[in-house]
Amino acid sequence: MPFLCPDSSSFLFGLKRLADCSAINPMHQVPAIVDGRFKLFESHAILIYICSAFPGVANHWYPSDLSKRAKIHSVLDWHHSNLRRGSAGLVFNIVLAHRDSHHSYPQAVNQAEEILIRSLSKLENFWLKDGRFLVGSSQPSIADISLVCEIMQLELLSEMECNRILSPYKKVVNWIEDTKKATAPHFDEVHDFLFKAQKRIRERMTTEFRKNEMKSKL
Amino acid sequence: MALKVYADRMSQPSRAVLIFCKINGIDFEEIQVDVFKGQQFSPEYKAINPMHQVPAIVDGQLKLFESHAILIYLSCAFPVASHWYPSDPSKRAKIHSVLDWHHSYLRRGAGGLTFNSIMAPLNGFRSYPQVIIQAEEILLRSLSKLENFWLKDGGFLVGSSQPSIADISLACEVMQLELLSEKDYHRIMGPYKKVKKWIDDIRSATAPHFDEVHERLYKSQKVYRERMVTHSGKNKVRSKM
Repeated sequence: MPFLCPDSSSFLFGLKRLADCSAINPMHQVPAIVDGRFKLFESHAILIYICSAFPGVANHWYPSDLSKRAKIHSVLDWHHSNLRRGSAGLVFNIVLAHRDSHHSYPQAVNQAEEILIRSLSKLENFWLKDGRFLVGSSQPSIADISLVCEIMQLELLSEMECNRILSPYKKVVNWIEDTKKATAPHFDEVHDFLFKAQKRIRERMTTEFRKNEMKSKL
Repeated sequence: MALKVYADRMSQPSRAVLIFCKINGIDFEEIQVDVFKGQQFSPEYKAINPMHQVPAIVDGQLKLFESHAILIYLSCAFPVASHWYPSDPSKRAKIHSVLDWHHSYLRRGAGGLTFNSIMAPLNGFRSYPQVIIQAEEILLRSLSKLENFWLKDGGFLVGSSQPSIADISLACEVMQLELLSEKDYHRIMGPYKKVKKWIDDIRSATAPHFDEVHERLYKSQKVYRERMVTHSGKNKVRSKM
């Protein structure tokens, strides 16, 4: 499926608001799409639109069966206030707030981690209880891509934190691998940018930790 | 077996599903789940919705929760007028877009503010001042986006001349602000003329069910406002200096 991908290097981590972007998305967020004269933002809406508007998309991504589709909507909706709120909240307050000199509240960190742990537990014990993919499916849907990409954001934390948080959830870890394989080689290619950022962030965290250690010894 | 809708009329998304079913003549049984009495934690309800939230539906073998998923399912599974959930992919996409935006903005703001400043303290639950402040900031940004973007073309959301499931969902959220004190309600809602007109338009488009489903909210409003007058400022929303 051909598409144009404008240079995204100044998006997201730069938190810059380009003047021409607001004409596409007045909420100043990514992602957004332009398809002919049609502009759209909110990733779940975009994923559903692409599944419906482009004929080459296999049915398992967004099944036509009403009940299966309803279950996908259900987990996509749950995601907003649970996994996304926990994971994005934690990563923002630990990593990005410091990087961009925004104030980060310890209470916000604790709250985000609580929400994240509850969400991972629900993923492990409910959403993944009946199959390799979400809502008991044997094949991935748009919900799997969306939620796995959210969990991948935790790679921006230190290696120790990331392992501490994810390692109790065996089904979740397997599901991430299954989703990666089902979307290979694109999953890794699209996450290349994230892993480069991870390297920079972790090097900086190590340097800051050593500085603070030395200060405390003086 | 008829559709079952598990709902608490104090819950914004519950009201949205009830109004939708009634205005479309969908035959259903309403089963009350009283959230402040903790009924969502019963083993019977956990079997319906293990997230312990309302609303949820049971339609034959299907158990479903999350109100937007329910509204979409009902629009497709029952014979309803197409303006509620148009089949055109672009119109449908715009409805999905505002429904998704709603979660992290209007719902987080309005729901967070009314729960933490009114419902939690007056029902003996803990609330956090910082959360109240943050919720009001999010709410004001959301109302501004509703006024200046989502309703900029007039009529209903995303420029439509007829209501959709998004209008019912978001209007029920804004209605929750009726639980605030009269002073705070007018302070917050005062600037938003289009939003207020839009609520009235939805009320008219879904009459008489909108008002009937909101009766419990209005009764609670009366009780809460009387109790707020006798409480010392503890539950008031922080006013802007």
